[in-house]
Amino acid sequence: MVEFLSGAVTLAYLIAALFFLRFWRKTADRLFLVFTVAFVLFALNQGLAHMLAVYHEPSSFIYALRVLGFVLILIAIVDKNVSSGKSTR
Amino acid sequence: MEDSAFSEAFCRFIQTAVPSVPVAELLLLIFKQPERWWTLPELLGELPRDVNITEAGAVTSLESLRSRGLVEFDDNKRVRYRAASDALDAQVHTLAQAYNERPVTLIRMIYALRDTRIQSFADAFKFRKR
Amino acid sequence: METFNFILYLMAVLTCLACTVLLGSSYMHTGVRMLLWSTLCFVGLSVSNILLFFDLIVYPTEVDLRLWRLLPALAGLLFLLYGFIWESEDN
Repeated sequence: MVEFLSGAVTLAYLIAALFFLRFWRKTADRLFLVFTVAFVLFALNQGLAHMLAVYHEPSSFIYALRVLGFVLILIAIVDKNVSSGKSTR
Repeated sequence: MEDSAFSEAFCRFIQTAVPSVPVAELLLLIFKQPERWWTLPELLGELPRDVNITEAGAVTSLESLRSRGLVEFDDNKRVRYRAASDALDAQVHTLAQAYNERPVTLIRMIYALRDTRIQSFADAFKFRKR
Repeated sequence: METFNFILYLMAVLTCLACTVLLGSSYMHTGVRMLLWSTLCFVGLSVSNILLFFDLIVYPTEVDLRLWRLLPALAGLLFLLYGFIWESEDN
Protein backbone atom coordinates (compact mmCIF):
# COMPACT_ATOMS: atom_id res chain seq x y z
CA MET A 1 0.00 0.00 0.00
CA VAL A 2 2.79 2.38 0.95
CA GLU A 3 4.60 1.53 -2.29
CA PHE A 4 1.54 2.26 -4.37
CA LEU A 5 0.76 5.51 -2.58
CA SER A 6 4.38 6.61 -2.74
CA GLY A 7 4.39 6.26 -6.52
CA ALA A 8 1.04 7.97 -6.86
CA VAL A 9 2.14 10.93 -4.72
CA THR A 10 5.41 11.24 -6.66
CA LEU A 11 3.56 11.41 -9.96
CA ALA A 12 0.95 13.81 -8.56
CA TYR A 13 3.71 16.20 -7.44
CA LEU A 14 5.23 16.07 -10.92
CA ILE A 15 1.91 16.75 -12.65
CA ALA A 16 1.25 19.65 -10.30
CA ALA A 17 4.74 20.95 -11.12
CA LEU A 18 3.89 20.86 -14.84
CA PHE A 19 0.77 22.93 -14.19
CA PHE A 20 2.79 25.48 -12.25
CA LEU A 21 5.25 25.59 -15.14
CA ARG A 22 2.41 26.33 -17.54
CA PHE A 23 1.05 29.02 -15.21
CA TRP A 24 4.49 30.59 -15.10
CA ARG A 25 4.71 30.64 -18.89
CA LYS A 26 1.24 32.16 -19.09
CA THR A 27 1.59 34.85 -16.44
CA ALA A 28 5.38 35.36 -16.19
CA ASP A 29 4.88 35.50 -12.42
CA ARG A 30 8.04 34.04 -10.90
CA LEU A 31 6.10 32.71 -7.92
CA PHE A 32 4.89 29.95 -10.23
CA LEU A 33 8.45 29.15 -11.26
CA VAL A 34 9.37 28.71 -7.61
CA PHE A 35 6.35 26.45 -7.07
CA THR A 36 7.43 24.41 -10.11
CA VAL A 37 10.88 23.88 -8.63
CA ALA A 38 9.47 23.19 -5.17
CA PHE A 39 7.04 20.55 -6.41
CA VAL A 40 9.77 18.85 -8.46
CA LEU A 41 11.82 18.74 -5.26
CA PHE A 42 8.85 17.21 -3.40
CA ALA A 43 8.56 14.59 -6.14
CA LEU A 44 12.29 13.82 -5.91
CA ASN A 45 12.03 13.55 -2.14
CA GLN A 46 9.11 11.17 -2.39
CA GLY A 47 10.60 9.08 -5.17
CA LEU A 48 14.13 8.86 -3.79
CA ALA A 49 13.01 8.16 -0.22
CA HIS A 50 11.25 5.12 -1.52
CA MET A 51 13.83 3.96 -4.02
CA LEU A 52 16.72 4.28 -1.57
CA ALA A 53 14.60 3.11 1.37
CA VAL A 54 15.42 6.15 3.48
CA TYR A 55 12.39 6.67 5.67
CA HIS A 56 13.42 8.07 9.01
CA GLU A 57 16.59 10.05 8.40
CA PRO A 58 15.88 13.73 9.00
CA SER A 59 19.46 14.69 8.12
CA SER A 60 19.45 12.84 4.82
CA PHE A 61 19.77 14.94 1.69
CA ILE A 62 16.57 13.29 0.51
CA TYR A 63 14.48 15.04 3.14
CA ALA A 64 16.56 18.17 2.74
CA LEU A 65 15.05 18.37 -0.77
CA ARG A 66 11.61 18.63 0.74
CA VAL A 67 12.63 21.19 3.33
CA LEU A 68 14.42 23.16 0.60
CA GLY A 69 11.19 23.18 -1.40
CA PHE A 70 9.34 24.83 1.45
CA VAL A 71 12.17 27.27 2.07
CA LEU A 72 11.90 28.29 -1.61
CA ILE A 73 8.14 28.77 -1.26
CA LEU A 74 8.73 30.87 1.85
CA ILE A 75 11.21 33.03 -0.06
CA ALA A 76 8.73 33.36 -2.93
CA ILE A 77 6.04 34.59 -0.51
CA VAL A 78 8.43 37.14 0.97
CA ASP A 79 9.51 38.17 -2.54
CA LYS A 80 5.88 38.57 -3.56
CA ASN A 81 5.30 40.98 -0.71
CA VAL A 82 8.55 42.88 -0.90
CA SER A 83 8.03 43.59 -4.59
CA SER A 84 4.29 44.20 -4.36
CA GLY A 85 4.67 47.97 -4.16
CA LYS A 86 4.92 47.77 -7.90
CA SER A 87 3.08 45.25 -9.94
CA THR A 88 4.98 42.00 -10.23
CA ARG A 89 2.77 40.87 -13.05
CA MET B 1 10.55 41.81 -13.59
CA GLU B 2 11.01 43.83 -16.71
CA ASP B 3 7.40 45.05 -16.63
CA SER B 4 7.54 46.22 -13.05
CA ALA B 5 7.28 49.86 -14.06
CA PHE B 6 3.62 49.50 -14.95
CA SER B 7 1.55 50.93 -12.13
CA GLU B 8 -1.22 49.02 -10.39
CA ALA B 9 -3.71 51.52 -11.82
CA PHE B 10 -2.49 50.85 -15.34
CA CYS B 11 -2.73 47.10 -14.80
CA ARG B 12 -6.29 47.50 -13.59
CA PHE B 13 -7.07 49.62 -16.64
CA ILE B 14 -5.72 46.90 -18.93
CA GLN B 15 -7.56 44.22 -17.02
CA THR B 16 -10.93 45.94 -17.26
CA ALA B 17 -10.80 47.85 -20.55
CA VAL B 18 -8.28 46.08 -22.78
CA PRO B 19 -8.95 42.35 -22.53
CA SER B 20 -7.03 41.41 -25.68
CA VAL B 21 -4.33 42.58 -28.08
CA PRO B 22 -6.79 43.34 -30.95
CA VAL B 23 -8.78 45.60 -28.62
CA ALA B 24 -5.55 47.43 -27.76
CA GLU B 25 -4.75 47.83 -31.47
CA LEU B 26 -8.26 49.11 -32.14
CA LEU B 27 -8.19 51.60 -29.29
CA LEU B 28 -4.74 52.90 -30.26
CA LEU B 29 -5.71 53.31 -33.91
CA ILE B 30 -8.72 55.43 -32.91
CA PHE B 31 -6.62 57.29 -30.35
CA LYS B 32 -3.96 58.28 -32.91
CA GLN B 33 -6.39 60.61 -34.68
CA PRO B 34 -8.54 61.80 -31.81
CA GLU B 35 -10.72 64.12 -33.89
CA ARG B 36 -11.50 61.64 -36.65
CA TRP B 37 -14.83 59.86 -36.93
CA TRP B 38 -14.19 56.32 -38.14
CA THR B 39 -16.48 53.94 -39.96
CA LEU B 40 -16.08 50.26 -39.26
CA PRO B 41 -14.63 49.41 -42.71
CA GLU B 42 -12.10 52.25 -42.33
CA LEU B 43 -11.01 50.90 -38.98
CA LEU B 44 -10.67 47.34 -40.22
CA GLY B 45 -8.83 48.61 -43.29
CA GLU B 46 -6.25 50.54 -41.32
CA LEU B 47 -5.56 48.01 -38.60
CA PRO B 48 -2.18 46.32 -39.02
CA ARG B 49 -2.51 43.21 -41.15
CA ASP B 50 -1.47 40.82 -38.41
CA VAL B 51 -4.29 41.90 -36.11
CA ASN B 52 -6.63 38.98 -35.90
CA ILE B 53 -10.14 40.37 -35.51
CA THR B 54 -13.44 39.74 -37.29
CA GLU B 55 -16.00 42.39 -38.14
CA ALA B 56 -18.32 41.07 -35.42
CA GLY B 57 -15.42 41.00 -32.98
CA ALA B 58 -14.60 44.61 -33.78
CA VAL B 59 -18.23 45.66 -33.19
CA THR B 60 -18.27 43.93 -29.81
CA SER B 61 -14.90 45.44 -28.89
CA LEU B 62 -15.97 48.96 -29.84
CA GLU B 63 -19.15 48.58 -27.80
CA SER B 64 -17.11 47.47 -24.78
CA LEU B 65 -14.71 50.40 -25.26
CA ARG B 66 -17.73 52.71 -25.35
CA SER B 67 -19.11 51.21 -22.13
CA ARG B 68 -15.72 51.85 -20.51
CA GLY B 69 -15.92 55.51 -21.50
CA LEU B 70 -13.15 55.45 -24.09
CA VAL B 71 -14.93 56.05 -27.41
CA GLU B 72 -18.21 57.53 -28.58
CA PHE B 73 -20.55 56.80 -31.50
CA ASP B 74 -22.43 59.23 -33.66
CA ASP B 75 -25.83 58.65 -35.28
CA ASN B 76 -24.23 57.01 -38.30
CA LYS B 77 -22.49 54.44 -36.13
CA ARG B 78 -19.16 56.13 -36.69
CA VAL B 79 -16.76 56.05 -33.78
CA ARG B 80 -14.37 58.58 -32.29
CA TYR B 81 -11.92 58.63 -29.41
CA ARG B 82 -13.35 60.20 -26.31
CA ALA B 83 -12.03 59.46 -22.83
CA ALA B 84 -14.63 60.00 -20.13
CA SER B 85 -12.06 61.40 -17.72
CA ASP B 86 -8.55 62.81 -17.67
CA ALA B 87 -7.43 59.76 -15.69
CA LEU B 88 -8.65 57.43 -18.42
CA ASP B 89 -7.05 59.63 -21.07
CA ALA B 90 -3.76 59.38 -19.18
CA GLN B 91 -4.01 55.58 -19.12
CA VAL B 92 -4.52 55.49 -22.88
CA HIS B 93 -1.46 57.71 -23.28
CA THR B 94 0.49 55.24 -21.15
CA LEU B 95 -0.86 52.41 -23.28
CA ALA B 96 0.26 54.15 -26.50
CA GLN B 97 3.68 54.82 -25.02
CA ALA B 98 4.07 51.23 -23.82
CA TYR B 99 2.95 49.97 -27.21
CA ASN B 100 5.65 51.99 -28.95
CA GLU B 101 8.45 51.44 -26.50
CA ARG B 102 7.90 47.96 -25.07
CA PRO B 103 5.35 46.13 -27.23
CA VAL B 104 6.44 42.64 -26.21
CA THR B 105 6.16 43.44 -22.51
CA LEU B 106 2.77 45.04 -23.06
CA ILE B 107 1.41 42.10 -25.04
CA ARG B 108 2.65 39.67 -22.44
CA MET B 109 0.96 41.70 -19.76
CA ILE B 110 -2.34 41.76 -21.63
CA TYR B 111 -2.23 37.97 -21.90
CA ALA B 112 -1.18 37.66 -18.29
CA LEU B 113 -4.00 39.79 -16.98
CA ARG B 114 -6.46 37.74 -18.98
CA ASP B 115 -5.55 34.65 -17.02
CA THR B 116 -7.04 36.07 -13.87
CA ARG B 117 -7.87 32.80 -12.14
CA ILE B 118 -4.34 31.57 -12.48
CA GLN B 119 -3.12 34.97 -11.35
CA SER B 120 -5.42 34.83 -8.33
CA PHE B 121 -3.34 31.88 -7.07
CA ALA B 122 -0.17 33.96 -7.15
CA ASP B 123 -1.92 37.02 -5.74
CA ALA B 124 -3.15 34.96 -2.80
CA PHE B 125 0.38 35.15 -1.46
CA LYS B 126 0.29 38.92 -1.14
CA PHE B 127 -0.51 40.05 2.38
CA ARG B 128 -1.77 43.53 1.60
CA LYS B 129 -4.57 44.93 -0.50
CA ARG B 130 -7.27 42.34 -0.06
CA MET C 1 22.16 19.08 14.43
CA GLU C 2 18.95 17.98 16.09
CA THR C 3 17.98 21.53 16.92
CA PHE C 4 18.81 22.56 13.38
CA ASN C 5 16.60 19.81 11.96
CA PHE C 6 13.88 20.69 14.42
CA ILE C 7 13.85 24.28 13.18
CA LEU C 8 14.00 23.34 9.49
CA TYR C 9 11.17 20.82 9.65
CA LEU C 10 9.11 23.15 11.78
CA MET C 11 9.66 25.86 9.21
CA ALA C 12 8.40 23.54 6.48
CA VAL C 13 5.26 22.93 8.53
CA LEU C 14 4.75 26.63 9.19
CA THR C 15 5.35 27.61 5.54
CA CYS C 16 2.81 25.03 4.47
CA LEU C 17 0.29 26.30 7.01
CA ALA C 18 0.93 29.87 5.86
CA CYS C 19 0.14 28.82 2.27
CA THR C 20 -3.09 27.23 3.50
CA VAL C 21 -4.14 30.35 5.38
CA LEU C 22 -3.22 32.76 2.55
CA LEU C 23 -4.99 30.69 -0.11
CA GLY C 24 -8.00 30.15 2.15
CA SER C 25 -8.46 33.81 3.00
CA SER C 26 -7.97 34.72 -0.64
CA TYR C 27 -10.71 32.26 -1.57
CA MET C 28 -13.03 33.86 0.98
CA HIS C 29 -12.35 37.29 -0.50
CA THR C 30 -12.47 36.46 -4.19
CA GLY C 31 -14.65 33.37 -4.41
CA VAL C 32 -12.35 31.92 -7.08
CA ARG C 33 -13.01 28.20 -6.84
CA MET C 34 -9.52 27.19 -7.92
CA LEU C 35 -8.31 28.75 -4.68
CA LEU C 36 -10.64 26.51 -2.68
CA TRP C 37 -9.07 23.41 -4.24
CA SER C 38 -5.60 24.85 -3.74
CA THR C 39 -6.44 25.51 -0.09
CA LEU C 40 -7.61 21.91 0.37
CA CYS C 41 -4.35 20.73 -1.21
CA PHE C 42 -2.30 22.67 1.29
CA VAL C 43 -4.47 21.41 4.14
CA GLY C 44 -3.49 17.90 3.05
CA LEU C 45 0.17 18.82 2.61
CA SER C 46 0.17 20.55 6.01
CA VAL C 47 -1.21 17.43 7.71
CA SER C 48 1.39 15.39 5.87
CA ASN C 49 4.15 17.77 6.93
CA ILE C 50 3.02 17.76 10.56
CA LEU C 51 3.08 13.96 10.54
CA LEU C 52 6.51 14.06 8.88
CA PHE C 53 7.67 16.33 11.68
CA PHE C 54 6.48 13.82 14.29
CA ASP C 55 7.73 10.84 12.31
CA LEU C 56 11.27 12.15 11.73
CA ILE C 57 11.95 14.63 14.51
CA VAL C 58 9.78 13.93 17.52
CA TYR C 59 9.55 10.13 17.42
CA PRO C 60 12.30 9.12 14.95
CA THR C 61 12.48 5.50 16.04
CA GLU C 62 9.22 4.78 17.82
CA VAL C 63 6.73 5.11 15.02
CA ASP C 64 6.36 4.69 11.27
CA LEU C 65 3.80 7.11 9.94
CA ARG C 66 4.63 6.64 6.25
CA LEU C 67 1.16 5.51 5.27
CA TRP C 68 -0.45 8.33 7.24
CA ARG C 69 1.91 10.86 5.67
CA LEU C 70 1.07 9.70 2.19
CA LEU C 71 -2.72 9.59 2.44
CA PRO C 72 -3.35 13.29 3.18
CA ALA C 73 -0.66 14.31 0.67
CA LEU C 74 -2.28 12.29 -2.10
CA ALA C 75 -5.76 13.53 -1.21
CA GLY C 76 -4.49 17.12 -1.21
CA LEU C 77 -2.72 16.75 -4.54
CA LEU C 78 -5.82 15.22 -6.15
CA PHE C 79 -7.83 18.25 -4.99
CA LEU C 80 -5.19 20.52 -6.48
CA LEU C 81 -5.11 18.73 -9.83
CA TYR C 82 -8.89 18.71 -9.97
CA GLY C 83 -8.91 22.45 -9.37
CA PHE C 84 -6.18 23.08 -11.94
CA ILE C 85 -7.91 20.99 -14.59
CA TRP C 86 -11.47 22.23 -14.11
CA GLU C 87 -11.17 25.70 -12.68
CA SER C 88 -7.98 27.33 -13.89
CA GLU C 89 -9.22 28.68 -17.24
CA ASP C 90 -11.60 31.59 -17.59
CA ASN C 91 -14.94 30.82 -19.26
